[in-house]
Amino acid sequence: MIGYMCKYAPIEVLESFGEELVMIEPHVTNFNQSDIMMHQNVCSFAKSVLEDVMEKDYDGVLLTTCCDSVRRLYDVLKANFPNKFIYIIDVPRKVNDFSCEIYKERIEELIEEYKKFSGKSFNEDEFERIVKAKSEAAKIEERAHKEEALKNSDGRVYKIGISGARMNKETLNFLEDKGVNVVFNVTCNNLFRDFYEEKIILGDSTKTPDKLQEALLKYSGKILNQIPCMRMVDAVNRNNYIENFMDEVDGIIYHTVKFCDNYSFDFARFKKFFNKPLLHIETDTTLGSAGQIRTRVEAFLESLDGSKGNELIKEKIKKKKEKGEKMYILGIDSGSTSTNAVILNDDKKIVAFYVLRTGAKSIESAEKAKDEVIKKAGLKAEDIDLIVATGYGRVSIPFADHNVTEISCHGRGAHFFNPEIRTILDIGGQDSKAIRLNEKGDVIDFAMNDKCAAGTGRFLEMMARTLELSLDDLGPTSKNWKEDIEISNMCTVFAESEVISLIAQNKEKSDICHGLHKSIATKAFSLLKRVGLNPGFMMTGGVAKNSGVVREVENLIDAPLYICEEPEIVGAVGAAVYGLDSVK
Amino acid sequence: MDFVRLYGNIIKKNLAKGKIDKARKQIITGFKLENFRVNHLAKDPVPKAYTYLSSQTLKSTIDSLAHPEKCVWTNIFSPVEILQNFGFNCISVEAISSMISGFKIADAFIDIAESYGIASTLCSYHKNFYGIVLSGIARPAAFATTTSMVCDANINTFHTLAKDFNVPHYIVDVPEDDNEANIKYVVMQLKEMISMLENLTGKKFDMNALCETLKRENLSHKYFKEFMEMQAYKNYPNSLTLHMYTLFASHLQIGEESILKYYEMLKDEIKICPDIKGKKIFWVHLLPYYQETLKSYFNFGDDYYIQAFDMNFDYIEELDTEHPLEALAKKMINNVYNRSYQRKADLVVDLVKKLGSDGVIHFCHWGCKQSSGGNALLKERLAKLDIPVLTIDGDGIDRRNSHDGQIKTRLEAFFEVLKLQDNNNNSSEAAK
Repeated sequence: MIGYMCKYAPIEVLESFGEELVMIEPHVTNFNQSDIMMHQNVCSFAKSVLEDVMEKDYDGVLLTTCCDSVRRLYDVLKANFPNKFIYIIDVPRKVNDFSCEIYKERIEELIEEYKKFSGKSFNEDEFERIVKAKSEAAKIEERAHKEEALKNSDGRVYKIGISGARMNKETLNFLEDKGVNVVFNVTCNNLFRDFYEEKIILGDSTKTPDKLQEALLKYSGKILNQIPCMRMVDAVNRNNYIENFMDEVDGIIYHTVKFCDNYSFDFARFKKFFNKPLLHIETDTTLGSAGQIRTRVEAFLESLDGSKGNELIKEKIKKKKEKGEKMYILGIDSGSTSTNAVILNDDKKIVAFYVLRTGAKSIESAEKAKDEVIKKAGLKAEDIDLIVATGYGRVSIPFADHNVTEISCHGRGAHFFNPEIRTILDIGGQDSKAIRLNEKGDVIDFAMNDKCAAGTGRFLEMMARTLELSLDDLGPTSKNWKEDIEISNMCTVFAESEVISLIAQNKEKSDICHGLHKSIATKAFSLLKRVGLNPGFMMTGGVAKNSGVVREVENLIDAPLYICEEPEIVGAVGAAVYGLDSVK
Repeated sequence: MDFVRLYGNIIKKNLAKGKIDKARKQIITGFKLENFRVNHLAKDPVPKAYTYLSSQTLKSTIDSLAHPEKCVWTNIFSPVEILQNFGFNCISVEAISSMISGFKIADAFIDIAESYGIASTLCSYHKNFYGIVLSGIARPAAFATTTSMVCDANINTFHTLAKDFNVPHYIVDVPEDDNEANIKYVVMQLKEMISMLENLTGKKFDMNALCETLKRENLSHKYFKEFMEMQAYKNYPNSLTLHMYTLFASHLQIGEESILKYYEMLKDEIKICPDIKGKKIFWVHLLPYYQETLKSYFNFGDDYYIQAFDMNFDYIEELDTEHPLEALAKKMINNVYNRSYQRKADLVVDLVKKLGSDGVIHFCHWGCKQSSGGNALLKERLAKLDIPVLTIDGDGIDRRNSHDGQIKTRLEAFFEVLKLQDNNNNSSEAAK
């Protein structure tokens, strides 16, 4: 079994030796070994491959000179696995007659090297058979895909295009489960090996060395002429290809991999080029990113068509109405720091709300928040008609009828409090988001922070602890700042040691607090810029209670921030509004 | 009083207010003031050759901002010899970035690039350059060219910026192996680029002039090798910034008359320098010129002395002046950073032996995967020679990615290791 990872790898050549070639799809949970054998700042995919090769029993790995990280991956593999077939093939970055010829020669070198390594011989008939069979299979798949797309053209299915860097199988499967029809996928690991043409044929009985040369030249040309990935000089064609599909898709998911920077360039231009709903997701290829991806993808799909009503509940509510009874919807936001519950009646009035610090088990906190808010509203559990959950813990709340992502809920919630809101900044305990709304309160764009705690509530919490202040004191303390201190480190851990050294230098707490608030505000500002600074600003989440951060953000956006009385319950209110809208 | 930060903040304010011409003028004025300081007010014992080089470097940077129409954006591996032939001032992405970051304003440009959508994990030199161009501080150059090898960021940075700002550009695809077909492939591209430049400038390319450039380059390398031999024991005063300036000579202006003069001064001047008294350090990869702790130990210090860094040695072989284009193709293909990392490790090992270095510091610059990715391999190689290695993670220009406290602890611990080695050597000598 030989692993490979790039669509430019001439896998058919090694298959012709009778080898099994496997696309490496690493499933890692950490980078414990690769961080030491390489470096923590190397592309996370390259590191996953290294972990995967150490774990599984590959006989060899066929790499391409696709990027800096993979070139170093080759060096590390080669040094650590001297008995395996570790090979890197240098793929030209230009496509012309000259480069095709060069690539053909490199494929021939690969054949020679593999002969030496394995003692096996290259089977020309097999080569022809494999290329032909794959070509036919690719054509069949393409036809089937088109038919499916036509079949599902009633608008109930999301038609999505995927671009960017490689997307793992789990995410693709998740999309499929959500009813997504992938109209195009131009990521690195999408293989469409339609490389056969009559002229490639070696001929039945006249196989001469010249014929093989000719066949390999055609084959190398076919490989190089695939839709260019970002390492290729002529990557501009990517957008032309994608343009052809623009009328067929509802939206595009753009995937990037942490520390793989190539696609950010494409993405930056891509955003301006296509006027379609666009979701940018970034993963580090570990299984740990799954939760966040789920939230983002679901929110994106929700933004494409909104939630679907529940017929049974509608029926139940209809009966209640006939009897003249009031209807109650409970929204619950299970966040990492707080669990918030809100009850809304059918006049869209808040009957009660309850804010609770999330404990070790989010389900228990959710149960408690639910019970308490019902008690506070003077109702009984059976009076509640519909429960909609949101927040990180939403999928594990067993008593919820629906769950909607906190991104969509914040949109609805903000619109509920103030219909003028167009841009929301939500800084919660473990993440921060910028959300852009239209005049109806629908989410039209959003951006989230990275996986780390930089610029979130958790960051402030840790800094408050370091300063021996309570979280609530940070805002008031910073008010009297005098010296403009810059906290240069965004990373929570580094920033903490920076704060400690500022304390050691006897700097005033008020000045340090001010510096911290400024650093959070700067991070928030760049997040806001990613969705556009459209006036009608609101800030939600626990951090909105910190007057220091609010002031700094307002300075940067040069506009006031609307903050409601309880900025933490906006998501829960949004969930309840979602519920109400879905049954009306 | 931190005057540089104060001045930088004024530039940043103008930048935020959209007063780009004003900000650019302030940057240019800042460089002119620095040039005056270097030549007339410098307190540090800067050798003459380095003073001369600093001036050349500052002038080239000022020109790139003031006269973009005479400037070509390159990377540090570009065949500048060809561009010089057309009378262009070559400035690399990394150079503009690094020079402008001297005003402590890189954060502003990097934020501009990141909000545009460029990945935060991209090399800071490229991000900063991106911001500088997007903001309008650097106006589009007459031409842009890069090579595909060594660094991923090149193709994309050049491609995207050249497209967005309509800069005529050419990308040289440099393959890995040194063989006839690959050399032909590169030569063909160089010819294509030359004809593009001929059309652009209306000037005819002069092959004889290129031969002369290569001759000067060969002589420069000869002087540099002589200088390096003496670096094994002579203390030629230097600083992190001056080390970085040497890349202008070895990569961007190599082959020019003025640079030949610099190398000549260098090899003559070192002869009269005193011997090195302190620990001899070989540096790998870039130097974060602004970093306080490193500056305090290495700038013009006697106790710890940086002899050289690998980037000036990436290709100093004799160029075949009879076949200049082939020679340039070979220069790129055989650059030590092309192909496997072992070549770089070999080079470091070889230099450390020749220079008799006591220790090696490997600086892993944020976003540079090709160098960071080989960190473990390099350490392993040097461990076999009993050479202590310190890895420092940081950033060549973005101060936010280098943490002084961490660097200080690591560096001082490393120095303790070096001292300990001395003690051990002494005691084993005594035992004999």
